[in-house]
Amino acid sequence: MSEKSNRARINGKTGENIKSWLIMLPGLLLMTFFVWEPLFESIRMSLYKTRNVELVRFIGLDNFVSVVGKDDFLQALVNTFTYTFWSLLIGFGLPILLALIIGETRRGKGFFRTAAYLPNMLPGLAVIILWSAFFSGEKSGVLNILLSKLGVPTQSYLTNYHLVIPIIIVIATWKGAGATALIYMAGMSSINAELYEAAAIDGATVWQRILHILLPAIRKLAGTLLILQIISVFQIMYEPMVLTKGGPDNASLSLMQLMWQYAFGGAMNYGKASAVAVIVTLILLAMTAVYSYFNRRESDWE
Amino acid sequence: MEKNQRTGVIREYDMHSPSVRAGYGFILFLCGIMVIIALFPLIWVILAGFKDLKEFVSSTSIIPQSFSPKAFITTWNQLGIAKNYLNSFISVAGSVVCALIFNGLLGYGLGILKPKGHGAVKKLVMLSLLMPTTISIVPLFMNIQKLGMGNFFLPLWLSYGANAMYVILFVQFFESLPASIIEASRIDGCSQLQIFFRIVLPLSKPICSVVAIFAINAAWSDFLLPYLVLRGGELQTVMVRLFVFSTEQTVNADAMMRSVVFSMIPPIILFFIFQKQLTENSVSVGIKG
Repeated sequence: MSEKSNRARINGKTGENIKSWLIMLPGLLLMTFFVWEPLFESIRMSLYKTRNVELVRFIGLDNFVSVVGKDDFLQALVNTFTYTFWSLLIGFGLPILLALIIGETRRGKGFFRTAAYLPNMLPGLAVIILWSAFFSGEKSGVLNILLSKLGVPTQSYLTNYHLVIPIIIVIATWKGAGATALIYMAGMSSINAELYEAAAIDGATVWQRILHILLPAIRKLAGTLLILQIISVFQIMYEPMVLTKGGPDNASLSLMQLMWQYAFGGAMNYGKASAVAVIVTLILLAMTAVYSYFNRRESDWE
Repeated sequence: MEKNQRTGVIREYDMHSPSVRAGYGFILFLCGIMVIIALFPLIWVILAGFKDLKEFVSSTSIIPQSFSPKAFITTWNQLGIAKNYLNSFISVAGSVVCALIFNGLLGYGLGILKPKGHGAVKKLVMLSLLMPTTISIVPLFMNIQKLGMGNFFLPLWLSYGANAMYVILFVQFFESLPASIIEASRIDGCSQLQIFFRIVLPLSKPICSVVAIFAINAAWSDFLLPYLVLRGGELQTVMVRLFVFSTEQTVNADAMMRSVVFSMIPPIILFFIFQKQLTENSVSVGIKG
């Protein structure tokens, strides 16, 4: 690979270089317009007073001060960490377990994989609306129908201050866990089966093989997926927006939802919205940095 | 079956032990539960679609009283879903074309041509994969407004031509192609674009189909940017319509469930057509992503 590019450089094929850049140009322009410039712009905008789509004047950190000073910010911040906590509790181990059990089946593996992956294909918005009927507080709500057979009285789940975030995470996990499980399955299937054979000859039980061969082999993958999961759940937005509108009493309001409210919730305050976005980005960057710091240290020891 | 045995923790001879056999039975039991949990909500929503409003809000039975498709047809006509379907198809088609061409060409540059200075761009693309995406929706929407591109599909199509994940997928695939083929055609005097269309693209069907499936599904399901760009207009897609329903509560609960079913039909069809590619490819895709 580098041989080729080296030769181009030694021969000084400037023309070829220019042509290559021209081929990449349309893609680069689009990346700039849709990804890079908006990221940069949201930082700049967070420092300006805005009116509609115009930047009125530079106001330093005023947007940040004003946003952070409101009660709903602290609530949204705490909620967002609560989402992350529940997401890790419910949604991190489950795909590993699913991958393990599907991987061990001797018949019907294809069917189990298909069933596990299907929810991931469904549109996220449709999934949320579907589940809202499922958790509906009416007696015709599906969960109420099912639980009434066990004698549990009809109750309202989505207006329960303590249940609302775990329920939203259960829904997100229902959609995503199967697809993540397939990623783990790929990681597990690349383990050399001779390791299991050798361990079995040495008298290792199935449990010991799982603990000492399988789990260590997927640890790095699990670390990567962990950080990706945190990044994605930290941006949770439309789930509470559609399901509960952030309620009851802001109990499910997330940071990104707060951003959406500032921008498109009638106020059209893009400056403040960007300030929230920048705060989210900074928290995520900090978490990624902490993760890669520990990850590096761990690999040093190995 | 032989293939399965090569990868599992439980080996053939373990099955002689009664406790392992019991454990294996438990695994199958868990898999069964997983299938039920994965499929039940889907089956339920389709069943719920057969109920009329009165039955939907009052009945405590999951099975509808009748299985007449009349309710579905009425909702389809009343809400004019056909137009939204057409809009969605137009939006998806353009998005897929953009996803393949623009990300593909950028991937070709970064993965095969590698002009001087490509390393920095590659790092930038990798980095944008880690960056939160929804964060830039506000300035992006402002840019679209400033250029007067609102109320049309163009910005949505083009947004799929700027997907860091698809670019990385292309780069990784292109780097795995044998360099000798490309070198040979270079010596034969093919231009860079000729190499792309005559040599690289025909070899890239697997990755193109993966990116296409992902882009189709993503473009169909997307509603935040489409809502901002197309709102109020005649061009609303199925998902934008559903989002409007859910925020404004303009339709009854039973019609809502049928709209949910309508919005799920194309992805489910896509899923069953490309089931194998998805459950096998997504695997390698996911790891790299």
